[in-house]
Amino acid sequence: MTVGCSVCVGIYPATAESPTTTAPTASNPDFNRDVRPILAKHCFTCHGPDEGAREAGLRLDSQAGSRADLGGYQAIAPGESKASELIARVAAEDLDLRMPPADSHPPLSPDDIDTLRRWIDGGARYTTHWSFVPPQSSQPPEVANGDWCRGPIDRFVLQRMQAAGLSPSRPADKHALVRRVYLDLIGVPPTVEQVHRFVTDTHPESYERLVDRLLASPDYGERFARPWLDLARYSDTNGYEKDRPRTIWPYRDWVIDALNDDQPFDQFSIEQLAGDMLPAATREQRIATGFHRNTMLNEEGGIDPLEYRFYAMVDRVATTGTVWMGVTTGCAQCHTHKYDPITHTDYYALMALMDNANEPEMNADPAAVIDRRQRLEHQIEQLEQQIVQQEILGDGAPAAARQAFEAWRSEQLQTVSHWQTVAPLAAQSTMPLLSVQDDGTVLASGDATKRDVYTLTMPAVETDQPITAIRIEALPHASLPAKGPGLAFYEGRRGDFFLSELKLSSSDSAIGLSAGTTSVPGADAKNGKTYPGNVLDSEGSTGWSIPGDAGQAQRLVIRMDPPRKLDESWTVEMLFERHYVAGLGHFRIDVTSDPNSVAMSLPSSLQQSLVSDDTDELQTQLATQYLRSADAVADLRKSIDRLRKQLPDDVRTLVMQERPDANHRVTRRHHRGEYLQPKEAVTPAIPDVFADSTDQQPTDRLELARWLVSPANPLVGRVTVNRAWREFFDHGIVRTAGDFGTQSDPPTHPQLLDQLATAFTDDSALGGRWSIKRLHREIVLSSTYRQATGPPPATDPMNRLLSVFPYRRYDAERIRDSFLSASGMLSRQIGGPSVHPPQPESVIEMAYGKPSWPTSTGADRYRRSLYTFSKRTAPFAAYTTFDAPSGELCIARRDRSTTPLQALTLLNDAMYLEIAQGLADQAVRDVGGQTADEQESMSTQRRIARRLFQRLLVRSPSESELDAILDFYQSQSEHEQPWMLVARVLMNTDEAITTP
Amino acid sequence: MNLKQSTRRQLFQSCGIGLGKLSLASLLASDLASAASSDSASSDTANPQASGPLGGLHYPAKIKRVIYLFMAGAPSQLDLFDHKPKLTELEGKPIPPSVIAGQRYAFIQSNAAVLSPRFKFQRHGDCGAELAETLPHLAGVADDLAIIRSVHTDQFNHAPAQIFVNTGSPIPGRPAMGSWLTYGIGSEAADLPGFVVLKSGGNLSGGAAMWSNGFLPGQHQGVPFRSSGDPILHVANPDGISRQTQRASLDLLTNLNQRRFDALHLGGIQSRIESYEMAYRMQARAPELMDFSGESEDTLAMYGSSRDDAGSFAKNCLLARRLAERGVRFIQLYHAGWDHHSNVEAGLKTQCKQVDQGCAALVKDLKQRGMLDETLVVWGGEFGRTPMVESSAALGRSLGRDHHPQAFTMWMAGGGIRSGQTIGKTDDLGFHPVEDAVHVHDIQATILHQLGIDHERLTFTYAGRPFRLTDVHGQVIKKLVG
Repeated sequence: MTVGCSVCVGIYPATAESPTTTAPTASNPDFNRDVRPILAKHCFTCHGPDEGAREAGLRLDSQAGSRADLGGYQAIAPGESKASELIARVAAEDLDLRMPPADSHPPLSPDDIDTLRRWIDGGARYTTHWSFVPPQSSQPPEVANGDWCRGPIDRFVLQRMQAAGLSPSRPADKHALVRRVYLDLIGVPPTVEQVHRFVTDTHPESYERLVDRLLASPDYGERFARPWLDLARYSDTNGYEKDRPRTIWPYRDWVIDALNDDQPFDQFSIEQLAGDMLPAATREQRIATGFHRNTMLNEEGGIDPLEYRFYAMVDRVATTGTVWMGVTTGCAQCHTHKYDPITHTDYYALMALMDNANEPEMNADPAAVIDRRQRLEHQIEQLEQQIVQQEILGDGAPAAARQAFEAWRSEQLQTVSHWQTVAPLAAQSTMPLLSVQDDGTVLASGDATKRDVYTLTMPAVETDQPITAIRIEALPHASLPAKGPGLAFYEGRRGDFFLSELKLSSSDSAIGLSAGTTSVPGADAKNGKTYPGNVLDSEGSTGWSIPGDAGQAQRLVIRMDPPRKLDESWTVEMLFERHYVAGLGHFRIDVTSDPNSVAMSLPSSLQQSLVSDDTDELQTQLATQYLRSADAVADLRKSIDRLRKQLPDDVRTLVMQERPDANHRVTRRHHRGEYLQPKEAVTPAIPDVFADSTDQQPTDRLELARWLVSPANPLVGRVTVNRAWREFFDHGIVRTAGDFGTQSDPPTHPQLLDQLATAFTDDSALGGRWSIKRLHREIVLSSTYRQATGPPPATDPMNRLLSVFPYRRYDAERIRDSFLSASGMLSRQIGGPSVHPPQPESVIEMAYGKPSWPTSTGADRYRRSLYTFSKRTAPFAAYTTFDAPSGELCIARRDRSTTPLQALTLLNDAMYLEIAQGLADQAVRDVGGQTADEQESMSTQRRIARRLFQRLLVRSPSESELDAILDFYQSQSEHEQPWMLVARVLMNTDEAITTP
Repeated sequence: MNLKQSTRRQLFQSCGIGLGKLSLASLLASDLASAASSDSASSDTANPQASGPLGGLHYPAKIKRVIYLFMAGAPSQLDLFDHKPKLTELEGKPIPPSVIAGQRYAFIQSNAAVLSPRFKFQRHGDCGAELAETLPHLAGVADDLAIIRSVHTDQFNHAPAQIFVNTGSPIPGRPAMGSWLTYGIGSEAADLPGFVVLKSGGNLSGGAAMWSNGFLPGQHQGVPFRSSGDPILHVANPDGISRQTQRASLDLLTNLNQRRFDALHLGGIQSRIESYEMAYRMQARAPELMDFSGESEDTLAMYGSSRDDAGSFAKNCLLARRLAERGVRFIQLYHAGWDHHSNVEAGLKTQCKQVDQGCAALVKDLKQRGMLDETLVVWGGEFGRTPMVESSAALGRSLGRDHHPQAFTMWMAGGGIRSGQTIGKTDDLGFHPVEDAVHVHDIQATILHQLGIDHERLTFTYAGRPFRLTDVHGQVIKKLVG
């Protein structure tokens, strides 16, 4: 890679230039912007990086290659287009000579040929695009009128303004500034009291002190979590057809906490990309990996689950590129990138770095939930033992109850058999990784398909008597979806499985089997999902499974027909076939020689004890089991069942877990980006264009994460500070959202961008040390930020030079939050499950399956909008109308449209009317508790109107504004709630939803 | 044109067109509009239809609008349009492995047996179009239809396939066809959205992704009309707010906003004022749109609807005509419930009863009013159904058909197409197209073409590269439009 200041000269506009002339001039094309796309489109397929496809030994993707001696002539002779074979060939009239070959490819346009010609005549330099060159720190420029400048930001900004003949606007007045900085830093406006305190504070550093208070407020994390969640494509549902709910709000809460803690951005990034791989990873670090679990999950019946996993990986590569590299990788999914130096193979090598993970759930119970569960479990245990002693076993227990228990016990004793666990010698499958555990059980992990076969190689079993039956016990496990026992993670019940067929063989001959019994209730011969005989009927669509709740253990007994010894190695073959993934996730295999064995509902461990022990402890365990399950004691356990119902559900959040070495995933290049066209395996690597910048090539996800936030990645600092800039000035210093590639807009303030980036990533004592709060602080303390708003000058209509504070509409969430806050209704609770503010029923009716929208009551109705349940296929309409994303794509910058539907929403949505009512009531209360019945005096009316105005808009209304408001108020005196009408109008003003 | 650089009034002046010709959706500024890129031919800048970023159309438009009747769930082409006597002959026998090898299916196994057509077929009209007996009304307009029996798609599951037909990509997040259209050429509806979505029947798999503006500016989002309550969310004044109160409220609002504009001279404030006036006009217009009292008994009877009918497909067809009269660019009707994995015969009877009369009436009604020539009506699902039977004890299914992306049937009617023909042919089993295969991207390219747009030249740069509806594919169906 060429790194040199010659590049900078060509890229960074001279300061004397007007803001709009940063594009290369017509006579001197820019290699990256103008030339590379032409070469990439027409030449690189045969004369590019791919050695296998290279023709005539010529490569045009490197400067050296393009100059190579081709036997007395060169493809490119710098400065001499007439002597360059490239031009001769692309412009050839003779179709046999013309490149690219006429039979496969259209010719270059005259414009393209002209561009190449001028580029060669100008020296034909291959340059590195500015953003791929590491940022260089530079001294803030000396400027005339330096008094305006408070820090480096202002010097860079003022220099560009002055060069364009512009000067800064006056400072914003204190009311505008306080409202602006509250909304920008914590997402809600100040209260009337907070405004008063600030505008009357005469301390020279009153603003600085305010900023520090706001940065320390827990509201800060909620405010800045929102744009990060846009990037993370956060949602509370899975997407696609069924769009069922998922639990991943612990990840959202992790983001809020990390931002409030000002976790350095490098660590913030590493934990989200690879927290599970950190040494001694904490629970929080694993929850953070939810970042890339925000991909969608197609739960439609009949899908190919691996196809949608591939699409999720494509999304992960694209999102990682946008967030940490500012480079679009999307094109390279299908072919070598035309514009940016990322090849088709680079793309899959990058995917391979992230591809070696399983996608399990993990428990993320908040402390309060853990406490509550422990308390209840303790209570349940105590109550059970109390009842067992008082009502069943103890001396004072009624004799009849004791007898009933003894009868049950002897029935169990008569039924129970001696079972022997047989641990497989080897366990193989068509897809999942099967591992034999120390206790002889088999645990599945990794990928699975709609039709998987497990093949277990079993050891010889020494028995005196012939074996009469085999028992398969399906067992729950914490690593499985909804704790198992199956692998189903979409479409059906999570944790489901479906054993379609079972075959046993020994020495290559089938072992005769016949239907036995199951502990699953109601498994008669007509039941296609539970009857034991289904696994022997050669019909894939019938089988054995466990209807009802997930997380149960159940047993299936299949008889040997006839009974036989298994004194040689034998094989178990299990087929799982369903229209969704339905393999068993955790199970055990036992055999018995007992002639009358059946599948009992009694847990296996108790069965085992029953045949071997006879202790008091066993007696108590049996009595407890009896109390939990026997019909005869249903009344006795009612109080226990009530407690059990109060047990809180597990909070199980989605995380990444690096795969074990035994199951390393092979990533392949996909021709044309198509799932069905996998080609050669690729080695995990960062794109070649970055490879020279680092000695340590990343080989896995953690190393990739560390590389992304290392000095070797020239983009991460720029991309991150650019995003921060956008949060305050609407546009970034690079205006193209999420794209710093060759097709992006050049930065408006390149040296400022680099200065901010190098300071931000500087780990030294005086550096920014990746602190986002410090970066935000520097921005809001600048004079640039403190300017008044107004129209941009005619010479800079897009306000690129920031000679005036940019006018912009707030995002949907801040609009609602600021109204809630102004009305005093806003709940301050942080975190927890998402909530359901009111919205018209018809919104959710459009969604598949008519899901419910359980409208929240109480404080949950007024939580910050960040906590509104986000449903991908039927997003909350009041937000979507204001350009909120649906969580389907990584969004680097929201659009800010202005539409009549927004007007209708703020005017007529019942949710906003309720807030308007609350705001009106609050203002009336503030002023002295007038009720609607009393005749308000004119002066009271004036005070209420003023108060209402201040609560919402911070500043005080002018007298003529007050007059207009009161005229309206009086014209509506017949209305039941005229103050609500006033509040409603004020909430609809432009001022209420835009930057002051 | 860069909307951000001009005030709205400048916009009008420079376009030389009045409010009525600009769409509600495309009228208002969006800061993303500046990101638009299009190498427009602009040979036809005077064309009043072109108010989007294209500036002008690539070709003369043959139509003004599209009514897309989306049969969600995928109707069985083999029982309605693509008659295959061979299936009767092979009934109950497994399909040859040479045909089915390597194909992916949602539910059935590869040894599934052949299922014969469930209905009788007959030829209709001068063109002799072959239709099943369950479509008697459609048979009456056979000569107005162009039936395409050789459509195929890439997707074999509902949500991705439905999203694919609408956005050109199976993954949610790209702009819908209607959004591309209002973005590209605007709309003629002054007080209504340019892209309207109506729904009847059961569940829709693709969800909001099917009318999403994706990365296009927000105002190009399709607006779903709600089946209950206001057709457009919040278009009616809430309880306790009269039209007079609304007007007085807006007067105060404009007063306050105008003061702010006078102080700051920001174009965005002006856009906001306009957006509220437009909202007010929309409030006035919506009740009139939904008031069917002016429709004659004959018209209602033709559709099989009635004045108090709410939310049926027939009523939506009639509403579609009313929206078309008011200049809406892209009107999409979804009718769900075609996913017949079991008892395809009974399922189709029910569905056809709900749909057949309405869509035939729509074609007739448009024709009677002289609007068919300027409207393109499109009918079809997201894929086809298998020649093989689906049955499953575990799922309680029998005599159904599974998803079949390899071949299915669509029809079109209206302006600029050669009606009275059947295009394309499938093999004897109805498994694969053997003549004139038409891909979903070709359908999209053709719809755009009829509106005067070259699908390769309507692009939008997002995240560093240009996107278009048809990705890198698509060809106009020459036989249909030539």
